[in-house]
Amino acid sequence: MNGKKVLVVDNEIHIVHVVSIKLRNNGYEVIAAENGAEAFELACQKKPDIVVTDYQMPVMTGTELVKKLRENEETSKIPVIMLTARNLMLEDQQKDQMQISAFLSKPFSPKELLRTIEDILYQKAVVAGKQ
Amino acid sequence: MAQEIKEAYLIIAMCIVEISLFLTYPAGLTGRVADATGGCLAGCGPGVWTGCIAAVAGVICFNWYRKKSANKITSTTTLLKNCRDYAAELENQVKDLQIQVQLSKRQRANTEAIIYGIRDAVLVIDDADRLLMANELAGRLFGFDFTNSQYKPVNELAGTDKSEFVDFLRQTRKSRVKATKREIRLSDGDKLKIFDCIISCVCDENKQVCGAVAVLHDITREKEISLMKDDFISYVSHELRTPLAAIMAYSEMLLDDEADDEKKKKEFYSVIQSQANRLNRLIEDILNIARIESGLIKVDKKPVSLTILIEEQLPMLRGFAEEKNISLSWGSGGQKPIVFDQVYADKDMISQVIVNLMSNAVKYTPSGGSVKIETGVDEIAGTAAVSITDTGVGIPEDQLERIFDKFHRAEATKNQVKGTGLGLNLVKQIIEKVHNGRVFVKSKVGAGSTFGFEMPLSRRTQLAER
Repeated sequence: MNGKKVLVVDNEIHIVHVVSIKLRNNGYEVIAAENGAEAFELACQKKPDIVVTDYQMPVMTGTELVKKLRENEETSKIPVIMLTARNLMLEDQQKDQMQISAFLSKPFSPKELLRTIEDILYQKAVVAGKQ
Repeated sequence: MAQEIKEAYLIIAMCIVEISLFLTYPAGLTGRVADATGGCLAGCGPGVWTGCIAAVAGVICFNWYRKKSANKITSTTTLLKNCRDYAAELENQVKDLQIQVQLSKRQRANTEAIIYGIRDAVLVIDDADRLLMANELAGRLFGFDFTNSQYKPVNELAGTDKSEFVDFLRQTRKSRVKATKREIRLSDGDKLKIFDCIISCVCDENKQVCGAVAVLHDITREKEISLMKDDFISYVSHELRTPLAAIMAYSEMLLDDEADDEKKKKEFYSVIQSQANRLNRLIEDILNIARIESGLIKVDKKPVSLTILIEEQLPMLRGFAEEKNISLSWGSGGQKPIVFDQVYADKDMISQVIVNLMSNAVKYTPSGGSVKIETGVDEIAGTAAVSITDTGVGIPEDQLERIFDKFHRAEATKNQVKGTGLGLNLVKQIIEKVHNGRVFVKSKVGAGSTFGFEMPLSRRTQLAER
């Protein structure tokens, strides 16, 4: 059990379900939300180590969620992985501005997602250790 | 003496005859008469000779005067002839000019007819940027009446909000480039439209630029369609990839033994199956629209009752409505319409129409709202109708016109509710293209919407199709 908290955000219940099982099976604590607004509230309350969010969601989209997280001091440093089923054409500048750690295109492999989460958290730990 | 005087009179009389003959006949004849007269005078006295000499002198004088007069007459005649020729030539030239003027008028009228007939705004300016010609569309776009605006500077006519266009027009004319093209945004009434603007320089016979022609082609709709297409690709991509993502993720989990027990495994299989069905439905929707549009769909028409078709779909839709806490009612005052074979239709297709309209009503109605289904028959009009009224978010009036368009999704709700923008288009295609019916919509933002359709009654359709 590594005990790291992952906030999984998607309005597709099956995606949240399968990602949650994969992460729990690998020792992660999973918090789930079905839209950006709900996710932002949970992020403020639970302080997850990483957020995995879908891009297109009702109420608040993935990019709107990232913007809100970055604006809030307490959540501004949380790494975000964005899942997208759309042909998302973001400029590098936009990606940098939003500080999105990784994009994964749907359909994705749960194994690949796990590896990406591990890499990002490892880098985060290395940076924190140096500081 | 008296004899001599008589002879002299005779000679004078003969001279008079001679003169008369000269005036009456040509010179040759006069000569011959004079010879004959001379012969008659042979053997006469001196008085007679004096008279003769005087008469001959008279004749000579007369002949001299006649010749002089004849010369004068000849030159006057020539002058007159020349004048007449010149007048005739002028007359011909006038006729030619008149023909040329008529041809020019006709050519101008043809040019104007062509310019007025073009479904683009066309403006022609001279080398001082003054308006030479413009069609009605240009007048409407720039807000001027051409007859009162000819030869006025185009910048004065176009107004400040069109300055981008005027600058482009001037620059092109001054640069002497043959033609240039640019996308320009211009306000047309209260709408901002996008135009493909092509400006070509007009050259005179010395190849000097003497003006320019501007053609503004409205590409607003094309741009909208292009955006809709991009949106469609994006939405369809999302809609196709989402179930596919679940199928692939659950399959991978099963292969990696991430399902702990049989119950979990069954759950994973079940998700794979439901997502595969979802994918199949979407693909079917896309293909059905394509088939209907191409006329390749197989239609199996039979007499069916709309009432029964609604009843068949109600249990599934009732479950969907209950999940969202939405009440579902049928008919006004709980009265169901009489069941009989109302329409001659493809049962599966009409079922799909009913499901699409009813699921849309539930999808766009917030929790606690209501959806009411009504059917009716108008014997006079010979139609049967179904209408579905919800208390949902409603649709703005300016979007109602396009709500049945393929890939169109209401702006305010497209991020709130999932969809591809194909459902309503499929409804329209099935009702109008396959069943000669009509779809309708009424809506008010915040109050809800009524979607429905009407179709010809069974008997009428069968008679028409026989």
